[in-house]
Formats: sequence, C-alpha cells, structure tokens
Amino acid sequence: MSAGELGRTLWDAPILEDPEAEERGRRIVAAAYAERQDRGPADSTPEAGRPGRRPMPRLALGLALATLLAGLLLTPAGAAVRDWVDNAFTSAPPPPEPTLARIPGGGRLLVQSGTGPWVVQPDGSRQLLGDYEEATWSPHGLFVAAVRKRRLSALEPDGSLRWSITAAARAATPRWSPSGERIAYRSGYELRTIAGDGSEDRLVAGPNAATSPALIAPAWSPHGDDALAYLTGNGRIRVVDGQSGAELAQAPALGDVTWIEWGAGGKEILEASRGFVRVRSVRGARPVLGHYQRLPIAKRATVVGAALAPRRPLVAVVLTHWKRHGTYSTVTVYGPEKRPRLLLTAPGSLGHDVTWSPDGRRLLVPWPGANQWLFLPLGRGQASAVADISRTFKVSFPRVEAWCCRR
Amino acid sequence: MLISMGPQPGEERDAGREPGLQPGSEADERALVREAQQGSSAAMARLYARHWRPAYRAAYLVVHDAAAAEDIAQDAFLAAVDALDRFDRRRPFRPWLHRIVVNRALDWARREALRRKVDGVESVFEPLLPPEEIGGEMLTALKELPADQRAVVVLRHLLEYTPGEIARMLELPRGTVNSRLRRGLDRLRETAAAERVEEGRR
Repeated sequence: MSAGELGRTLWDAPILEDPEAEERGRRIVAAAYAERQDRGPADSTPEAGRPGRRPMPRLALGLALATLLAGLLLTPAGAAVRDWVDNAFTSAPPPPEPTLARIPGGGRLLVQSGTGPWVVQPDGSRQLLGDYEEATWSPHGLFVAAVRKRRLSALEPDGSLRWSITAAARAATPRWSPSGERIAYRSGYELRTIAGDGSEDRLVAGPNAATSPALIAPAWSPHGDDALAYLTGNGRIRVVDGQSGAELAQAPALGDVTWIEWGAGGKEILEASRGFVRVRSVRGARPVLGHYQRLPIAKRATVVGAALAPRRPLVAVVLTHWKRHGTYSTVTVYGPEKRPRLLLTAPGSLGHDVTWSPDGRRLLVPWPGANQWLFLPLGRGQASAVADISRTFKVSFPRVEAWCCRR
Repeated sequence: MLISMGPQPGEERDAGREPGLQPGSEADERALVREAQQGSSAAMARLYARHWRPAYRAAYLVVHDAAAAEDIAQDAFLAAVDALDRFDRRRPFRPWLHRIVVNRALDWARREALRRKVDGVESVFEPLLPPEEIGGEMLTALKELPADQRAVVVLRHLLEYTPGEIARMLELPRGTVNSRLRRGLDRLRETAAAERVEEGRR
C-alpha cells in the first residue's frame, strides 16, 4: 500500500458524522465571532494585559464599558439579541431600597444563611425554619427538605417537622423531584433517593469509582419522569432512573464542574466550571445526551455562577473580570442561539447563586460586596435592589437556594 | 447518525484533500484571516466552511467517536476566534488549526483510555462500520493503533504534513515522529496485506 493509497483511503473511508454537525458548529462559531465583535477593542486588542502596559485609567474603563454596552445595543449582533427578549436594558445597579418589602414579580424564596434556611414570602416577611445546613423546595413549595449532619428532614414551610431519617453518612445537596415523588440526596460517597413521605430510601449510585457522585447537587429532569442527572467523581455526567438507579445515559463533563442544572423544559443540561459554561442537548423520553454548545465567555473572566431558565432556553452567567485597576462583574444572558446579552455591570464581585424567577422573566443576583440583592427584569420592567441583606437574615449574607413557585 | 461517505465524484473537495493548498490559495487564506481580523463575518464563515470537514475527519480518525470529534473541531474553531487578534498573518492558518485539533484529539483519547482503565470498561468507541464498507478494515486497523501513532498517521497521510512539520505541531523530536509513523504504517500494511489475502480467497 503506497502513501497515496493510504491517504485516499483515509479521505474516502466512511466515518460517522451527524449531518447537522457542520451547521451546528457554524452557528456556534458565528455566535462566538459576533460576541468577539461586540466585546469591542477594549477586550480584544492583542496588547491588552501584556507586561509593561500602563494601567487603564478609570475614565478609559468607563468609556470602554460604555462602548461595550452601546455596542450591544447598536451592532447588528446586539440588535439580533434584542429580538429574543424585550428591549429593556440595565447597565448599572439601581439604587437600593432600604429593606426587603416585597419580592418583585412574586413567588417565595428559600435562602440559607448562617442561622439556617429562611422562607421569604411575596410581601418580604420571612421565617427561619431551624438549624439546618441546606434546604430545597418541594415542586409546588408545599414542603421543604432540609439536611443537618446525617439527618434528612421534610418540613412544612413554617418549619414544623413532617418526618426525618438518619442517613449512614453526612447528608447533603437534597433535591426534590418535579413529580414530588422522590428526594435525591448525597450521603457520603453515595447518591440516594427517598420517597416524599420518608419511605423507600434507596441507593441509586455509588460508591464505586465509576458511579460515585461528586460534591455538587444532582439535577432532576423537569419532565417529572424521575430521571436524575449528576456529576460522577471521575468527571462524567450520568443520568440514572431516580427510582431504580438504572443508568439511562452518560457523557464526559467539563473539567472541574462546579454546577449542573437540567432546565429549558428538559431539553438542556448546563455544566459550569470556573472557565467555561456549556449546555448539552437532551433528547427523548429515555434521555439521550446530545451535543453541547460552549457559551462564548469574555477573555480573562472567571465564571462565578450560571443558571438555566426553568422553561426557556436562556442561560444567565455571572462573570468576574480581573483587571489591573480593579475587579468588576457582569451578568450576561444567552438567548436561544446562545448569543450573549449584557444585562448588568457592577463593581466588585457578584454572588454565584444567580437565580431565575419561576416564570423565567427575572433574575435575582446577590451582590455580597454591596450587601444587596438585585432583581433584574428581562423584559419590560424596572430593575430593583434591596440593601442590608445580611442584617435581614441575621448577620451573614445568605445563599439563595430557590425561587418558588409558578402557579 | 448518518455515514458521511466523503466527497462524491464531482463534489468539491476544497480544503479537504489539499496536498498543500491550490496555487494561490494560501494567499487567499491570508486575505481571509486579515478580513476576519477586521470584522468580516463572511470571511470567518469562509474559513469555517473551508476547514470544517478536514478538521472533523482528522479528529474523528484519532478519537473514533463522532460526538467527541464534533466537540474537538468546534473547540478548535472557537480557539481560533478567541486568538484571531493575536494571530500572525504571515503564518499559515491551516497548520495552526490542525495543531489544535490533533492535540485536543490526543488529549481526549488519552483521557478516555485512562477512564476505561479506571472504570474497567472495555470500550466506549462507537460500533465500527461494517468491514465491507470501503476502507472499513483500514479504519478498524487505525483504531487499533495507539493514539499517538494514529495522530501522526493522520497528520502525515490525511493532512499531508511533513515529519518535520508534525514534530513541531506535536512538540516531539523528529525521530519520535518517524518511529511512530513507521510502527503505525507497519501495522496498517499488515492489515492491508491480510485484506488482499482475504480478497483472493473470495
């Protein structure tokens, strides 16, 4: 066999290829290229950040940010981005209200402070549920599942106890399934599920090396079919039946994933690490993990938090941008084509626990550095902020667990 | 999944096979890179159209996994977009892109091999194409090679780089490239010879 014959064989041999792969890649690359254009010269000049370069003055930074914001509004890419949400645009945090008097858009919040989980009602009134370390809503907000050390408990929203079990090892990351039938939780090196009434506690994964869960929360399929996705300790996304533990699908995950979510009507699983965010398509009743799209992320930025909207293919990403003259943060929302739309720029660092409202029309963005919560609308409506959050939840700045519930 | 049969008679092979580029096309490519740097999305689209298929095929022949090959080719183009401003237009775009593709494919293949060892899983490769397909036996034989031999065979015989260029792309001594090529080709020749014997028997 000559070299030429081998070359021809390698070119002509049939290989497996999804016929849509090229088009899918073209769209993603075009979106990344459009985002590069939108970033403007401040972030894309080759000299930026090189040793010996003079620090950019604050005025220049302001102008660069203004250019970036204007770019998003005025360029064709920016105009296209505006098509998928209304044209409201927030560029800087609004002045804060002194106290939490209401939740914009309604619903109830479950937040976790150093004193325990709190339920916040639509009028801003709040109640501490007890001495628990993590908590999660049941699908309609009728109950809360909470853990402390080895105990997993189901509570009424007023904190009264429904049932409690003691796990073999420390319990963590409880997540109630959308069907309401089961609660997933980690116990040591195992992933387990238990019925909503506290019966039928079952092992669904682990503790062997191939299936043992990593230290991040699992994610239920929003379809209510009890499919459960989680990250394994060896870096794979694995989908199992939440009742039997039978494997339904698996695929390699990003390196160092810090967060996974299953949203967008069940069609996408989000993976976030400090450097990347990507969404993987999910198809079929018996879930098949499809191809992923990596979201274009600004250079020299760290991914702090990411959240997939519950019913729409929108992804909110919080980034911290490290610059010589200081740090600033942005909130970007990626639309159905995964094109970015800058929603907010704030000095300092924002919290990782960006949370969608149940209807997917607002974002709650914690801002620990300013001791504020920011409520950002995606459509028409006004952004708002609430001050003094630490004191509201007794001393420590809380983590937002979930925003419940769509009715 | 459908099976891509490669370019059909009369179909444009473009950057596909290109033993080198067509005369003048390297200058054309430099112009495309310059236009893309200046903000022409059409130029970027042409670069993508020109290089997608070779990038995908090269990645596939190293990893033998369609989803991974797609991811690797996509990542290479995203890296190209990311580094566009820093790209030196005096240098050719094609080897730069292929260097990313093959190195990422090698990383993937090594990770996957390690994972199989840890998990005790025999193989996660997709089902092989039936041997009666054109080149099916050769693909099977290629898959049986260690990943680092596959990579140099693909760079040499699919993308037609010289051993010196391959050594620079993979940051290896030239002697290592030559020995990997020799070992890989010996194995492939054995397969081809066996194929001929088999054909003779039919």
